Amino acid sequence: MAEASGMRPLRLAVSAFVVVVAGGLVALWALATPRQDVVGQAVSWVDVRWTMLRDWYNSQPLDGEVEWETAQLQVRGAVAARGPALMIEYGCGSCHIIPGVSGAKGTVGPSLTRFGERAYIAGILPNGPGTLTNWLIDPPLYAPETAMPDMGVSDEDAEDMAAYLLALGHYR
Amino acid sequence: MIDEESTLGQFGSQSALDAAGLGAELTLTLTTALHVAGALIFLSVMGALAWAWFRTTGARTWWIWAGGVAIPAGALVILVVGSTLTLAAIRAGGENATIIDVRGYQFWWDVTYDPTGDPVRDGNEIFLPLGEPVTFRLTSEDVIHSFWIPSISGKMDMIPGRVNELTVTANELGRFRGQCAEFCGLSHPLMAFEVVVVTPEEFRAFVADLRNEARDPDTIALRQGRDVFMNAGCAACHAIRGEAEGGVLGPDLSRVGARASLGAGMWPMNVGNLAGWIADVQDMKPGANMPSYNHLTGPELRAVAHYLDSLK
Repeated sequence: MAEASGMRPLRLAVSAFVVVVAGGLVALWALATPRQDVVGQAVSWVDVRWTMLRDWYNSQPLDGEVEWETAQLQVRGAVAARGPALMIEYGCGSCHIIPGVSGAKGTVGPSLTRFGERAYIAGILPNGPGTLTNWLIDPPLYAPETAMPDMGVSDEDAEDMAAYLLALGHYR
Repeated sequence: MIDEESTLGQFGSQSALDAAGLGAELTLTLTTALHVAGALIFLSVMGALAWAWFRTTGARTWWIWAGGVAIPAGALVILVVGSTLTLAAIRAGGENATIIDVRGYQFWWDVTYDPTGDPVRDGNEIFLPLGEPVTFRLTSEDVIHSFWIPSISGKMDMIPGRVNELTVTANELGRFRGQCAEFCGLSHPLMAFEVVVVTPEEFRAFVADLRNEARDPDTIALRQGRDVFMNAGCAACHAIRGEAEGGVLGPDLSRVGARASLGAGMWPMNVGNLAGWIADVQDMKPGANMPSYNHLTGPELRAVAHYLDSLK
């Protein structure tokens, strides 16, 4: 028993030795490499990634960035925040690029980027809450030769989508 | 009878961890058992290691025989028996199964019900009877695809010139997603489909209804759409029962408007997406065999989109 119990400290000592040697090797490697350069590279790597991430994040629609309140004022009673989900439901994205609408990358019709600043709808109707709502309900009524179909949009849905589109301003 | 709400964006509609069919359920049970057993074995081995490291008495050779030979042999025997029994149970029931043929194309699925009796085509949406075994006869017309409905069963390759059989039993009503599980070209990730599990009576009614001619265009606008469909040459590839039945290179469109999704399970089915799809297929599904029809005039495009949407 005396011999056996003497084994335990020995094994612990061996374990500690291995850990210390491994740690020492890592420390040596770290010291041997030009330290400032490593730190600088790491910092710039993180900085580049962070900037990419921030830009990507900022490119998404955010409650704080779309001027929801202005949008609500423009189309009275409309819920602009329903816009993106409605546009997916009606399939707007297969023809239009629409900021903030998932998968809306179509190139059949014009991009709706900064639509709130657009002067004319389809080059025909003066852009505004009333005209935009009516246009969304029945495009061929205003532009008989248009390729944009009447999609059976309800009045309420048209108002909500119009409010969202009019909120797409300078930064989107 | 048919819930038209698609599985698009429905979390869990394409998950082997959310089993709704015989194959998926048995596989999930086996997987869970394996992981629990594996965790227990790992813990006991680590425990034995710790004990051996700090123990104070001498070694015993029988530990080698027990822990290194007997227990692994026993575990492997249990594993082999368990997985063999599971596989046998998954394959069982194929004798009296309903047969459905599915042919893979880049990048869609051609579905034929009752192929041994009076075949009737549909595409990109597969109806299954609840609780009844169904044997899929799977093949491909171009490259290798793989047919996979994770919630219902395991996957099976679709190989050109060869018919692979896969028997499944769906045990839950509802809609599930299937996906091509073998890289098949540019739009491979856009090659999905919907599975609709209905009661056996509804399934038979669906197949019977499929044999009927497609709905006639009953307004002037819809008739214009039908004329555009014919004049633009759509019928060379697409069949519509009762109108043009020759086209076999593209999905059968006899009930296209009734499907929940467009483009092989990718977009909600509606006039807007149909119009965008017809005008710019190559943008929505790069590499598909269908060309973009942006030479149609605006009114023609609208008419044909409305016509297709009316086919329910």
